Amino acid sequence: MKRLVQGNEAVFLGALKAGANFFAGYPISPSSEILVLAAEHAARDPDFKFIQSEDELAAANAIIGASLAGAKSFTATSGPGFTLMQEAIGYGHQVEVPTVFVNVQRVGPATGMPTMPAQQDIVQTNYGSSGDYYPLVFYPNSVEECYRYAITAFNAAEESLSPAILLSDAFVGHLNEVVDLDAIAVEVVPRSRPPLGTGKRFFTGLAHDEEGQPRTADAMVYRKWLAKVKTWHEKVAARYSDFEFKGNSSSDTLLISYGIVSRVIAPLASQFALFRPIRIFPMLGPELQECTQGYERIVVIEANDGQYACLVECELKRDVIRVPLLGGRVNLDLAKKGLSEKLEREVS
Amino acid sequence: MFKDLLKLERFPTTWCPGCGLGQIMIQLAMVMDELGLDYTNCVVVSGVGCTGRLAGYMNVDGIYTLHGRTLPVAEAVKLVNPSLKVIVVSGDGDLASIGGNHLLHAARRNPDLTVLCNNNQVYGLTGGQAGPTTPRDTRTVSSPAGAPYDPVNLQNLMKSGAKYFYAKTTVYHQLHLRNCVKEAIAWPGFAFVDITSQCIENNGRRLGFNSAYEMLLHFRKTYNRAAEGAETLEPNQIGIVRKG
Repeated sequence: MKRLVQGNEAVFLGALKAGANFFAGYPISPSSEILVLAAEHAARDPDFKFIQSEDELAAANAIIGASLAGAKSFTATSGPGFTLMQEAIGYGHQVEVPTVFVNVQRVGPATGMPTMPAQQDIVQTNYGSSGDYYPLVFYPNSVEECYRYAITAFNAAEESLSPAILLSDAFVGHLNEVVDLDAIAVEVVPRSRPPLGTGKRFFTGLAHDEEGQPRTADAMVYRKWLAKVKTWHEKVAARYSDFEFKGNSSSDTLLISYGIVSRVIAPLASQFALFRPIRIFPMLGPELQECTQGYERIVVIEANDGQYACLVECELKRDVIRVPLLGGRVNLDLAKKGLSEKLEREVS
Repeated sequence: MFKDLLKLERFPTTWCPGCGLGQIMIQLAMVMDELGLDYTNCVVVSGVGCTGRLAGYMNVDGIYTLHGRTLPVAEAVKLVNPSLKVIVVSGDGDLASIGGNHLLHAARRNPDLTVLCNNNQVYGLTGGQAGPTTPRDTRTVSSPAGAPYDPVNLQNLMKSGAKYFYAKTTVYHQLHLRNCVKEAIAWPGFAFVDITSQCIENNGRRLGFNSAYEMLLHFRKTYNRAAEGAETLEPNQIGIVRKG
């Protein structure tokens, strides 16, 4: 049935569709609708468990415990809460726990501008916890995609046996669009690991061998483990190399944007080629290489000070023009103004 | 046999000779054996620190959480699978300092968890720094002039809720310790067992003890059993206070 659905609501419904039966969270705008929907759902369905935690540290660790116990679990937060959750994200990667973190971004750092939209957690999403790890991260730009990629995030989490992250922003999260969610078919990957109470396993945040035995001073064991984790994350990521590309043979410039910014600058398709990564991490390598070929100038336009641009530069090994949209104002006029300045010509 | 509940193939443990943790683990295994708890119906969750390693030596599914995060993990496990007995074993620093907020709120929510706190009054693994339970004026490597503050009052913290179970015992009082663990596991709510324990290598020697044995004798001399039904335990008493 077609109806008006909000982005955050679509994330929650997508999670349910994926089989989620545990939510722990701490209220924070602009993500709180997800927590409230989870609370309401738990009141109706005794098989769906809900904890309103004392803080984001507890919420993030609770979804890991729930996953080990046999649930499909998730949490939702925004920038400052996501920062507190970083320790659990790293832990989830070390212990190999499938779970989903939803981050509806707002302007930071710190409490920042509650709750104006931003995309300032891009780097934090991939590099925010200690150590090396390779999360699968998706960033939808519509209500329909919020639903679709919530399911994808749960699937990717199960397949990669690690925390997957669904990025959103205050704009996408609070976007209302008419969609028919029932008509969206996304395959659901079942849980893979036997739950707690069935073995004599040791789930530890210490570096460990394949039996779970702590190996805290053995470089070879560690390197072997990290190489294995990296390889299988790359393998899973390859199944989800999602992006959108609109070439433009009359333009020498390609604009890269994602999330809400890609919606806002959509009308520029007649003047520029457009590229939108949906799987934000691991970086889309060959896809970026191929789509950017032939374009003299690459511009990354994003609601932060060049976080993704910097990573694109690394990937392409060429200069990238940055157009930051800062301070929670994301609109076409500002995008045009920024482009005009950086490209030194009038963009209208 | 309680030994079946221990991963003897992983012995010797990482703990120093004389550490109280081995005794706590053996008493826990004995109680589990007595109550029929094994890998099919019981999970052990431990935090970071010397105590954190305990979950890895038990023959059940064990979780070694991040520092301070035993309780949120354990509470979620219990909620997802209420048929599992969930036993948390962690240190005083892990539970009362970095995990202090979780302790406060887990106690308030009163989930059916058993918490064994290895209370050695010091951060042992990191070299003997003062912790939340270090008695005032105690000299440690991070309080060379004596710990400047009074320790956290775990009994009062636990008793701030409408329902509570707080047991105080020591590694010297083995039978009492075992009984406290048993009663805590039977308690249908959040049960906290505060176990005064000895860290000879990174605390005891600086305090003038020559051996773990001397520390245990000190516990014997210091602590007396509270009268049955006592509502409050004095600082030198062992016993159980509870309200259901």
